[in-house]
Amino acid sequence: MSRGPGAYRAEAARSLRDDPGVRDSVGSATRSFDTHRAKAYAEIDSERWRDWARDVKTHALTHLAEYLEQAETRLTERGVQVHWAETDRDALAVLDAVVGRHGIRTAVKAKSMVSEELGVNEHLERLGVRPIETDLGEYIIQLLGEPPSHIVGPAIHKSLDDCRVLFHERLGTPLDAPPDRLAGAARDALREAFLAADLGISGANFVAADTGTLALIENEGNIRLSTSLPRVHVAFVGIEKIVPHFEDLAGFLQLTARAATGQPIGNFVSLIQGPRTGDEIDGPEEVHVVFVDNGRTALLEDDEAWEALRCVRCGACLNICPVYRQTGGHAYGWTYSGPLGAIIAPGMLGLKQALPLPHASSLCGACADVCPVRIPIPDLLVYWRERAVEGGLAPLSEGLGAKMYAGLAERPGAFAAAAALMRHTPWKAVGRALPVLGGWMQERSAPEPSPKAFRRLWEEGIE
Amino acid sequence: MSARDRILSRVREAVASRATLPHPGPFGAWRPDPVEESSVEGFVRLFRLAGGEAHLVDDEQEASEWMVRFADGFESITIGRGVPASLHPDLPVTEASAAALGVSFARGAVAESGSLLLDARDGRRSQLLAPVHVVILRADTVSGTVREALTSLRHDLPSAIAMHSGPSKSADIGQVMVRGVHGPGRVIALVVGASEG
Repeated sequence: MSRGPGAYRAEAARSLRDDPGVRDSVGSATRSFDTHRAKAYAEIDSERWRDWARDVKTHALTHLAEYLEQAETRLTERGVQVHWAETDRDALAVLDAVVGRHGIRTAVKAKSMVSEELGVNEHLERLGVRPIETDLGEYIIQLLGEPPSHIVGPAIHKSLDDCRVLFHERLGTPLDAPPDRLAGAARDALREAFLAADLGISGANFVAADTGTLALIENEGNIRLSTSLPRVHVAFVGIEKIVPHFEDLAGFLQLTARAATGQPIGNFVSLIQGPRTGDEIDGPEEVHVVFVDNGRTALLEDDEAWEALRCVRCGACLNICPVYRQTGGHAYGWTYSGPLGAIIAPGMLGLKQALPLPHASSLCGACADVCPVRIPIPDLLVYWRERAVEGGLAPLSEGLGAKMYAGLAERPGAFAAAAALMRHTPWKAVGRALPVLGGWMQERSAPEPSPKAFRRLWEEGIE
Repeated sequence: MSARDRILSRVREAVASRATLPHPGPFGAWRPDPVEESSVEGFVRLFRLAGGEAHLVDDEQEASEWMVRFADGFESITIGRGVPASLHPDLPVTEASAAALGVSFARGAVAESGSLLLDARDGRRSQLLAPVHVVILRADTVSGTVREALTSLRHDLPSAIAMHSGPSKSADIGQVMVRGVHGPGRVIALVVGASEG
């Protein structure tokens, strides 16, 4: 359903116009997430935690090759099969081999943004495997055939009533069923899938290089089940997920939970070293870890934007963003939405493909105030806008409009005359023909201008 | 050149000219107000805050009595391999996916995060599939911080360590919190060797 980042403005306008419930659901969920985050930050010395986390991630990124090699060595020692994927196609090819060798029919999936980025579900279907999302939010949007709207809460754009209708149609629950009854119906359906699946697919929140440990955070238990019950576990891991030491997880597991949901830690954390050992009675017999590039080294090469690779995918910048809150994630047209999505898209997809996402911000700076790894998000939004202008990717009308404004702003007489002219222009009729304004007005109706200049109102004594 | 080597060489090239920053050192769990409670108290407080239940008993004898009372009413059980025989309730043992009650033995716990530490060798299915999960925890295995706990684990890592810090829960349906979505909806820590003062 996604038309890509290029359709951002039209999709955002369409959502606000045709689907106002999305704004209500996203707004209330993100405000709730952010309230909990603020409380959880206040309990700790959050400035110090965030400085520490920023420095560990920066250190890890500047020594990334060594740490990746170390993680590979440790994982291999534990019997894990390590793969390297430059592109989404390389990553998906790992599944071809696994599915063929084990005759896999059903796969259970833990929530994983990188698997969304790679298109794992669609690929499994092509291979004749039924992929079943097991995170409750992911399950809901899989039933609807939609992509996630938020990194942490994929179905936050759906209201309780939306879910009631969906579950009534698909699982036969009553239309007035309470949420725990709906969750129970999903649990029953998914429990069968867990017990039947031969393949479990996950991402990873972190990989500790010195032990090769994959760390995964969740609240439902579906990640533990997906990585414990099926015979084979495949984990797709972005190469930037590395932290140097096993003990570094202490800071990251707790800080990520506080930033994401305001909890001291996720109710379930998995620390996975490899397949089951000789003295264990259950757990997967085969574990694969796929280190995924897919645009990450291109982002790493950028001398400014590489800092975005510190991201721990907590969603705090989405939750506090006044722009994201209006639409949720779908309008962004890509797996990663919100302020974070807008700064990594140009590096990972190419600037041309990512436009106009760096403009989907008021530059208020709230995201930088909450980011647990202190990514300078507003600076990077401006940086990508400048790069777009330098690269000739900004619309000509944008530069023309800015120049016209600069010319007027330097000449008070001309400015006053132009302002008077604008107050008396029939905008509805002519606005659409003008540069910049025309684009803006394609999706919106313009407000009526004030009949008097602000300066005049000021002299007359406004409140 | 393999995909691996191409990725690693691109990574090396990308950061070659960049100033490197040293690792900032161990995570210090910094807080504005230092915690003034014992590790067991801290663990119990946070575990309960997250929706877990905790019972504190003096010794294995008391634990065994508690277990007999608690298990009354359950029809079947799945038991972790580390649970001492004296704490096995007298219930038919069944395959974990059919059990009404799961009992595990914790490798340890953490005060700072309110987490139980569960070892895969105890049995993963017993930790996950029954709707009610009782975890036996020796009071002298509770660490103060997550970092201390990880340091104590690193010398002996099984295929997986899990930190369970409360019941299975989700707010994915209309932002309403529900329990017992996939994992146990009720989790009870039975802390042996520390009665509640």
